[in-house]
Amino acid sequence: MNLIRGARGLALTGVSLLLGLALWQWAAHDISRVVFAPPTAVLARLFADTINGVLPLALLYSLATLAIGFLLAVVIAVPLGFAIGRSAKVAAMADPVLNAIYAVPPVAMVPFLIIWFGLFFEARVALVFLMSFFEILVTVAAGARNVEPTLLAVGRSFGAQRTRLVTRVMLPASLPFVFAALRVGLVRAINAMITAELFLAAVNLGAIMKHAAQKFDTAGLLAVIVLLCLVGLVAQAGLKALEARLLPWHVRQ
Amino acid sequence: MTHKLGYQMAGVAIALAVWEIVGRAIGPDLFAPPTVVFPEWIVLLREGQMLRELASSLRQMLVGYGLACLAGIPIGVAMGRSRLADALLHPWLSMFVVTSVASLVPLFILIFGTGFWFRASIVFVAAVWYVMLTVYHGARGIEPRFVDVGRSFGASRWRAFRTILLPALYPYVITAMRIGLVHAIRAMVVAEMFIIVGYGGLIYRAGLSTSTAPLLALLFTLMLVGVIANALLRGGARKVAPWYERRVGTGSPAQG
Repeated sequence: MNLIRGARGLALTGVSLLLGLALWQWAAHDISRVVFAPPTAVLARLFADTINGVLPLALLYSLATLAIGFLLAVVIAVPLGFAIGRSAKVAAMADPVLNAIYAVPPVAMVPFLIIWFGLFFEARVALVFLMSFFEILVTVAAGARNVEPTLLAVGRSFGAQRTRLVTRVMLPASLPFVFAALRVGLVRAINAMITAELFLAAVNLGAIMKHAAQKFDTAGLLAVIVLLCLVGLVAQAGLKALEARLLPWHVRQ
Repeated sequence: MTHKLGYQMAGVAIALAVWEIVGRAIGPDLFAPPTVVFPEWIVLLREGQMLRELASSLRQMLVGYGLACLAGIPIGVAMGRSRLADALLHPWLSMFVVTSVASLVPLFILIFGTGFWFRASIVFVAAVWYVMLTVYHGARGIEPRFVDVGRSFGASRWRAFRTILLPALYPYVITAMRIGLVHAIRAMVVAEMFIIVGYGGLIYRAGLSTSTAPLLALLFTLMLVGVIANALLRGGARKVAPWYERRVGTGSPAQG
């Protein structure tokens, strides 16, 4: 039964993708004012630029920036999120400040990053860090705050001390939130990566996009957009698979 | 409650104090302290250009955001309540929602130029998928029993939708509008900073000045806009759906 449902779901996904692509192909024909590349042209371009190594190489350099910025954000934001969520007092103190910072669009910080870090590698890492940091912090803090009180009560009545309570009860109970935070944070980090490459000095994938834009080459632009989208989907699926392995007790929809 | 308020105010006070100390230590050309930023903010407020640009940017943003809500809410409901709509639209929704707005900017400039529709459409694509996704999750999660009870008391399909599903959806619609607004404001700044117009252009140009005070003053205004808009939506929520806060809590809009 489950197998049949799975197969049907897969078939429907295929139908959906085909319908969407057909719509795109048809629409691309009709827009005559500007050339809007049809999916066939975009796929051909994606294939050609992957074979000749242009896209993979640029992506590799982009991902290096991403990895450094994202890991820094995770290493700092996750413990900090726990520290904030653990105590109601600290949470109350941090809440208005975090909400205020969250309300400022991260791209608006770009002028700051230029002043502090220049236009190149460091500034790109900083933007990736900045854009994923707050997302992770806010989600982890909310998760640590929402740990089932009964779990903590059970731990306490079995004589667990404060540190033991944190490492043995609170941490495992809020791991699903950590994973949710990582997923959201990683998508934001990928967005930040391409934002930095377009808004600071144009390099890697950002440079490819800028060149394509100058030549009115929408196939080239869409090829990079599709590639980034695939990277985002693969990253999310990877984290989901990791979560299923590490937290088998936590089944998501 | 007053207890919590005290902690919140203490938190803001500590943040301001840290900002002041750091700002004084490294100087206003790197990070202006609040005692320098605030007078600058008053000056910018009096000059009027800041508010004029903000008003015109927000007008364009609201068009894109409004269209995103108009399109995203019904489609999200349809996806949440119909298996077929879900199966057909979900793959595309998951793709679009991870797509970076900044990466779409060069393409949209080629299609729309750099005028009104460029900015409005960037805001639209930034917000619409998040609105859709949030409403979808809400519509999917509604207790089937609520609808079943209504139906077994003889409510027609339409009546069940109007009197049971719709009120149950309000909290999610408002959450979706809040999340959408965050993304809409971000997208507005992305689009404007890229082509250096409007409020985003103002921010970009402020970054070139020798002091960071005007830049921080502009960011402060933007922060106020976000906080006030969020508060208004929350206030509206309390009016149309007093059960709102209980249902969705007060967590920050973090959804992927």
